[in-house]
Amino acid sequence: MLGKLDWSAIPFDQPIPLIAGAVVLVAILAVLTWVVVKGHLPYLWSEWITSVDHKRIGVMYILLASVMLLRGGSDAIMMRIQQAVAYQSQGYLPPEHYNQIFSAHGTIMIFFVAMPFVIGLMNLIVPLQLGVRDVAFPTLNSVGFWLTATGALLVNLSLVVGEFARTGWLAFPPLSELSYSPGVGVDYYAWSLQISGVGTLVAGINLVTTVLKLRTKGMNYLRMPMFCWTTLASNLLIVAAFPILTATLAMLLLDRYLGFHFFTNEAGGNVMMFMNLIWAWGHPEVYILVLPAFGIFSEVVSTFSGKALFGYRSMVLATMAICVISFMVWLHHFFTMGAGPDVNAIFGIASMIIAIPTGVKIYNWLFTMYGGRIRFATPMLWSVGFMVTFIVGGLTGVLLAVPPADFMLHNSMFLVAHFHNVIIGGVLFGAFAGFEYWFPKAFGFRLDERWGKLAFWFTFLGFFITFVPLYIAGMLGMTRRMQHYDVAAWRPWMIVAAIGMAVLTIGVICQIVQIVVSIRNREALRDRTGDPWDGRSLEWATSSPPPVFNFAFNPDVRGEDAYWDMKARAQQQSLERDRPEYQDIEMPRNSPTGFVCAFFATIMGFALIWHIWWMVILGGLGAWATFVVFAWRDHDEYVIPAEEVAAIDRVNLEERRDLVSMAGTV
Amino acid sequence: MSDQSHAPTDHDLAPGEEEQHSVGTRILGYVVGLALALLLTATSFFIAGTDLVWQPSIPVALIVLAIAQMGVHLVFFLHITTGPDNTNNVLALAFGLLVVFLVVGGTVWIMAHLNANMPPMDQIMRMQ
Repeated sequence: MLGKLDWSAIPFDQPIPLIAGAVVLVAILAVLTWVVVKGHLPYLWSEWITSVDHKRIGVMYILLASVMLLRGGSDAIMMRIQQAVAYQSQGYLPPEHYNQIFSAHGTIMIFFVAMPFVIGLMNLIVPLQLGVRDVAFPTLNSVGFWLTATGALLVNLSLVVGEFARTGWLAFPPLSELSYSPGVGVDYYAWSLQISGVGTLVAGINLVTTVLKLRTKGMNYLRMPMFCWTTLASNLLIVAAFPILTATLAMLLLDRYLGFHFFTNEAGGNVMMFMNLIWAWGHPEVYILVLPAFGIFSEVVSTFSGKALFGYRSMVLATMAICVISFMVWLHHFFTMGAGPDVNAIFGIASMIIAIPTGVKIYNWLFTMYGGRIRFATPMLWSVGFMVTFIVGGLTGVLLAVPPADFMLHNSMFLVAHFHNVIIGGVLFGAFAGFEYWFPKAFGFRLDERWGKLAFWFTFLGFFITFVPLYIAGMLGMTRRMQHYDVAAWRPWMIVAAIGMAVLTIGVICQIVQIVVSIRNREALRDRTGDPWDGRSLEWATSSPPPVFNFAFNPDVRGEDAYWDMKARAQQQSLERDRPEYQDIEMPRNSPTGFVCAFFATIMGFALIWHIWWMVILGGLGAWATFVVFAWRDHDEYVIPAEEVAAIDRVNLEERRDLVSMAGTV
Repeated sequence: MSDQSHAPTDHDLAPGEEEQHSVGTRILGYVVGLALALLLTATSFFIAGTDLVWQPSIPVALIVLAIAQMGVHLVFFLHITTGPDNTNNVLALAFGLLVVFLVVGGTVWIMAHLNANMPPMDQIMRMQ
């Protein structure tokens, strides 16, 4: 009846996950109770959960990423404490628990923090920058978000019901095969990623179509803001690479569920094929994450230097070059597998070549700043911090691209330090820069600068105090994923890294305080004009937060830096005089399709993990029925009358008039 | 969303959206496509079992027929043309082909070198 599920799935003998689970459960129940008692439920349902508005979906993606960042961060803290104390002792985490923690940390940070954070920012901003009213497929967008949330839910469920994978974040066979991992851990891992992978693919298709097909009048490809270009490149990579992940995990699942032998040790399976396929996805994935971050830095650096982006066309070229070359380097993740010097040399050279377009970007940002009037607001601090950090990470990457060096450093702490150096220094700093930069656009008030700067400095310093010792420990021969060790020389570095982790934690706390303080002072921090940073692209041409239809009129773009151009020519005022008649606007209706679909997908995923076959059929049928109901809907749009559009637009124009007259003089 | 596609004459139509052809022409297109696809399929089955041609050429012939089949599908069913309204589709196809070539070709190359350099799995197991 319930497959493999019984009371033994709850780890009653392990206090850490149980207490953590209980705390989370209490927090969720408290929030739910507050929502229901205060009567916010109808609002939450009709305005957020069923929303197909790209801005709301973007905000929900970022919220999901932020919550999961806390979860993944807790795992990181536990690991750093374990390695600081586990010198010639067992530490406080038993090996099977420690293995689950590092696996969950990697899985969560990549799939449920970095991915939703960048997809959220792209959702929120790209339609605004393109000057359009929505993404290409609004309801599909909502489905994508909720399926990602399903994956996150399943991963977290594994904390208290059953166990998570003990295999590392990519579940390499043969360890992840049934003979070595008979529990449900790997199944939790694989099904979460399969379900959220569908969500990511859907988001990728949606954003590619949006950039290619929905641009406002005059928005040529070469007038698009850089963030739109990196979004295009990143989503092309999603569309091309995620099917590889899905197929590879499907083969692993066939091995585990139906006795196939794709990656087993026996019966002709080939373990190496899994490494090959998973990294054929895994390397483009790195660029899926970091390209949008590059786009964010381009926007931020240009805005806060008060200059157009230096070398716009070379930046476009570099972005698209990375997009293609990222599919030619994947073997550098397994130089040591033994493919021989020919193969290793070619992939080593390709890995060094891909550093060139990235270097072009760095110089472009530096030249954008050169001679500019730089304002060191919080987003700019994150950007400059990124440049410093990312160069270190990039250079250690070029070092690792040399096969003989890689043979020394493969799977050492040096590698761990390298990829944290590029992912934290690149993706996370980028996500934070984008968060600080676009928060006023999303919510209508700025974030507190003082706490923001504190958060930056603690995170920046904390990062180096944590990861420089890991580089050194790697040089001293320490391998990754060690539950305990006996080498005295590593000990001091592990202690320093733990101290760095504490500093990083203070940074995160500052960020939370920043949000709380800003919400309290929101009246003082209110952004009335919609253009708090003296921005250059079209998202600043509408109010903050933008109305549901984004723009009363589709903006007419006449060059790069569309909004800067408009401001410089004080076009806003003339436009207002001869604005054409306001017209009715048709917008897509909200739809619970995404939420209901994900609800059934959760049931199906859970049932598949625990082998509850009747429930699998129930979930599958439910998800399919939801799709049919949506496909047969009669009314998919509603009309916002012209008077309402006019009223909303005039309020914004009033606020903006002062700003425009000022901008003409700058 | 209707007001975002500006003019219907824009070169910005999705495949299948173009309305200039009459129903008759379009049906004819599909029928020709179907006939060609069937012909190519039948030829493949015929070639596979025949002894009319030099035997080692059969795999090559099958590959050629398969690629021709893909071409027929792309032109008649997926409406890939060389027109300016089709630039996106052609570029997407090119990108897709490039990625498939890189991943499949790269995999074959890597695994072949791996097999040449490393003893087979069962041999490793026996050594332990």
